[in-house]
Amino acid sequence: MRFDEALQSQEEAILNCVHCGFCLPACPTYVRLGDEADSPRGRLHLMRAVVEGRLDPGSDAFQDHIGRCLGCRACEPVCPSGVQYGMLLERARQVATSARPPARLTRLLLALVRRDGVRRLWLGSSRLLRDLGIPEGLLARLPEGPISSRMKTALAMLASSAPSTLSIGAPNGAEEVASRSGSPNGSGFGAGVSVGLLEGCVQKGLFGRVNRATERVLGANGYRVVSVRSQGCCGALHAHAGDLTAAREMARRNIAAFEEAGVDLVAVNAAGCGAAMVDYGHLLSGDAEWGGRARSFAGRVRDVSQLLTGGDEVLRGAPLPLRVAYDPPCHLLHAQKIRHEPLRMLEAIPELEVVAVPNGDECCGGAGIYGLTHPELGGRIGSDKVEAVVATGAPWLATGNPGCIMQIGAGLRIAEAKVEVCHPVELLDESYRRGGVYEGRRGAEGAASVDPDPGRGSPLDERAETGAVPRPGGA
Amino acid sequence: MTAPVIPAALISSLSRIVGDDGVIRDPERLLVYESDGLTQYRHAPAAVVLPRTTEEVAAVVKELAAGGRAFVARGAGTGLSGGALAVAGAVVIATTRMNRVLEVDVENRRARVQPGTVNSHLTRESLPHGFFYAPDPSSQSACTIGGNVAENSGGPHCLKYGVTSRYVTGLTVVLPDGEVVSFGGTGVEEDPYDLVGLFVGSEGCFGIATEVEVTLTPVPEAAAALLAIFDRLEDAARAVTRIIARGLLPAALEIVDGETIRAVESSVFAAGYPTDAEAALVVEFDGVEDSLAEELAAAEACCRDEGAREVRKAASDEEREALWRGRKKAFGAMGRIAPDLLVQDATVPRTRLPAVLERIMEIGRRYDLKVANVFHAGDGNLHPNILFDRRNREELARVEQASKEMMQACVDAGGTITGEHGVGVDKKEYMGLIYSRSVLETMEEVRRVFDPAGLSNPGKVLPGSIRSAIRGAEEDAVARV
Ligand SMILES: Cc1cc2nc3c(=O)[nH]c(=O)nc-3n(C[C@H](O)[C@H](O)[C@H](O)COP(=O)(O)OP(=O)(O)OC[C@H]3O[C@@H](n4cnc5c(N)ncnc54)[C@H](O)[C@@H]3O)c2cc1C
Ligand code: SF4
Ligand code: SF4
Repeated sequence: MRFDEALQSQEEAILNCVHCGFCLPACPTYVRLGDEADSPRGRLHLMRAVVEGRLDPGSDAFQDHIGRCLGCRACEPVCPSGVQYGMLLERARQVATSARPPARLTRLLLALVRRDGVRRLWLGSSRLLRDLGIPEGLLARLPEGPISSRMKTALAMLASSAPSTLSIGAPNGAEEVASRSGSPNGSGFGAGVSVGLLEGCVQKGLFGRVNRATERVLGANGYRVVSVRSQGCCGALHAHAGDLTAAREMARRNIAAFEEAGVDLVAVNAAGCGAAMVDYGHLLSGDAEWGGRARSFAGRVRDVSQLLTGGDEVLRGAPLPLRVAYDPPCHLLHAQKIRHEPLRMLEAIPELEVVAVPNGDECCGGAGIYGLTHPELGGRIGSDKVEAVVATGAPWLATGNPGCIMQIGAGLRIAEAKVEVCHPVELLDESYRRGGVYEGRRGAEGAASVDPDPGRGSPLDERAETGAVPRPGGA
Repeated sequence: MTAPVIPAALISSLSRIVGDDGVIRDPERLLVYESDGLTQYRHAPAAVVLPRTTEEVAAVVKELAAGGRAFVARGAGTGLSGGALAVAGAVVIATTRMNRVLEVDVENRRARVQPGTVNSHLTRESLPHGFFYAPDPSSQSACTIGGNVAENSGGPHCLKYGVTSRYVTGLTVVLPDGEVVSFGGTGVEEDPYDLVGLFVGSEGCFGIATEVEVTLTPVPEAAAALLAIFDRLEDAARAVTRIIARGLLPAALEIVDGETIRAVESSVFAAGYPTDAEAALVVEFDGVEDSLAEELAAAEACCRDEGAREVRKAASDEEREALWRGRKKAFGAMGRIAPDLLVQDATVPRTRLPAVLERIMEIGRRYDLKVANVFHAGDGNLHPNILFDRRNREELARVEQASKEMMQACVDAGGTITGEHGVGVDKKEYMGLIYSRSVLETMEEVRRVFDPAGLSNPGKVLPGSIRSAIRGAEEDAVARV
């Protein structure tokens, strides 16, 4: 197989680009660098040149400019010709990495998330360090300099994955368990639809609290949250880095896992993972055995906000008199075209004041591992975002993707801005907690069977089967 | 076709002016600059320079002029006539890093911008003050004010508001020898010669605009639109004439033909236009709330008189948006049904629209080509789009031939060879169709006043037989795909 096969087979998709240039102003790298080769149209032109045999994919030109793409997909919604840029980028990355192996740092980071055991160890020790407050301590002590600036970013990112003060006093233990049996007084918007939550890798390792919050709010709204064993990382980071083989392997594993659990829908609270999973159909399109299953799986993927945008039907919580800036993650907004749902979900919280981040449609520069692989440009994009967030004057920022929480959080931390970052679903969860939505279920049936490590799957499925989850109008 | 080699010494002096990251010379990276929005032509520049200020542009131009090297300004590269193509070993001076709105002067209703400012960004910055920038090319979300000035661009709403030249009031220009001059500007509007007017539409041949002052327009109180559906394209064209004859002045009058409707409706951008129709006419009015209903009713009557089978009206912004959707998505939707698209651009007297459209469709049929029309009907500005696949050589030859005949048809009807996309490289050989040799020679003399050495955007606008200082052979190296 020719190594540029991955692009060759997509020639028609590349030709969909009519070279109109509408995508240029939407591209964060082009806007900052001003070089057409760092624009969507330019990158597509380079891909086309590779397909035409005019450009060597091992050339600096191809490597640099394809490598410098954030993968934010802001170029997609503005394209009048509907060019599937994200899909093409993954192919281009595959071609680029086969022509020239990626930098050591990229390889290392990908290896870390690929193997379950390694990943658990890495994320586990990171979490431990974080919970001991080590990154915070180091941050204060690092000297100025280019090497320590990358270190600083990494440490600040880790520190930013820590819970905000919002969740201090949030339910846990028995209380948490009780909540998962569903809402005692919920309207049951979910109507008993069964959902399996994608736990994610980074999400599971550092943001377990967001997963738990997601389960609670879904349960409170009548969804039947089923634990899905043997699921794994969604493969997004690998696909973005051009390792489509690994990404496909991960996709197959997740498809099988969720099929086995027999859930109606797949819930995701990490925009990056959601974007990858709605594309599983594409990813496995050439696969006779898996293609159809992948498409059907992709059709069942829902961001948590999509599951909770029923207007009045979504259970309302207690007032949360906070001013919160909302920043839409690119992989929600551009890749999945989910713009209004998170805002509508937040409407279920009385007295919450949500303000938009100026130029919020632009990427925060996190873009998976971009902040670490392209510290300079990523840093510039990131500090513009931080400035925009600070300009809102809101003391809180909500955004629905772990990468963005850490990237923006790190930026805010380094800039010493007094803004706390959380996932929108954590706000709803907190509002429910304050409203007592989760109370009164303490000691609910089945509590004893709860797995003490929620990360390894919740026992909800069993309990749900006994009919403990209230149906609409029930309880 | 490799880019001409550029001396290392020149590269280092350019880098000294704009910084290392402001000079691109690697031939592989330069590939992306080989075309503008008209990809039928390809030719990579010798280098690309990305200056940030007027002073940097002047220093770069001086350096290039000293070595006798040609240069070409480039904005967003959305041009549709190959205007930003760098031939004759030219260096591209891209204005992408000069993209700031310098001032919105509410009192004088003016704005001062750098040339790389995106057209719609100027409107975005002006809206909070109650103003907008009126010339609105369909490419407004991407094209730059500098490119608009060079092409004297129009757009759907220019029927009522007029094209770019009506809005530019002052310019800072780096002349082709590197000298910085300013034309017009607040307070000095009354230059004895209208040099601003002369520069607008000069397609990059008179130097590089590095600062542009424009007039802003107050946002109208209200707007309303209608969509009329026709079974015959000529009827829609006649409705346009009738609306104008009736003394109405819509803000926009746009026609989308059946071929285009079907392309849009079969794409992901389906806008709900009936697919068995042969034309849809969008009529928009803006102004004082009270007069709109009356105007809309009058326009509706005109459409019905010419046989419109259905008329939909839109009052709210969302409804209006929905009516426009088919028109706005047309270009992209066509990209979905054929890999290549030749967007033609010509203007004919409005009354001749029905006859000319009929001839254009006949030419398309004769050459067995798919032709789709979307155009600014109110201005008589036609855009027949020929759909093709450049990988099919034989088809390509038919496209060329048909395109030429369409141009001829427009000229025969008393029209001209460009409405708004400019001459560039694409139309220069058609210039002889409408201008006599002596007129062309006069144009060349004017050009020489600005650019005696022939360094600013060589190989454009005037046919090769006229231009004195062109470096002929190199110029022909442009790949016509
Ligand atoms: C989908 C689509 C729709 C379009 N619709 C319209 C339309 O409705 N109306 C219309 O008029 N055009 C339209 N165009 C054509 C195009 O967008 C315009 O010609 C636009 O003005 C070009 O701007 P640009 O910044 O892309 O210029 P470029 O393409 O980069 O350059 C165009 C010309 O301007 C010169 N130039 C650029 N900057 C400067 C400067 N600072 N000083 C001197 N010369 C300069 C260049 O040398 C070149 O000759 C459309 C194009 C597309 C792709
Ligand atoms: S907007 Fe779409 S069609 Fe236009 S240049 Fe960008 S990718 Fe190509
Ligand atoms: S994905 Fe983002 S960074 Fe990459 S080309 Fe598109 S807009 Fe630019």
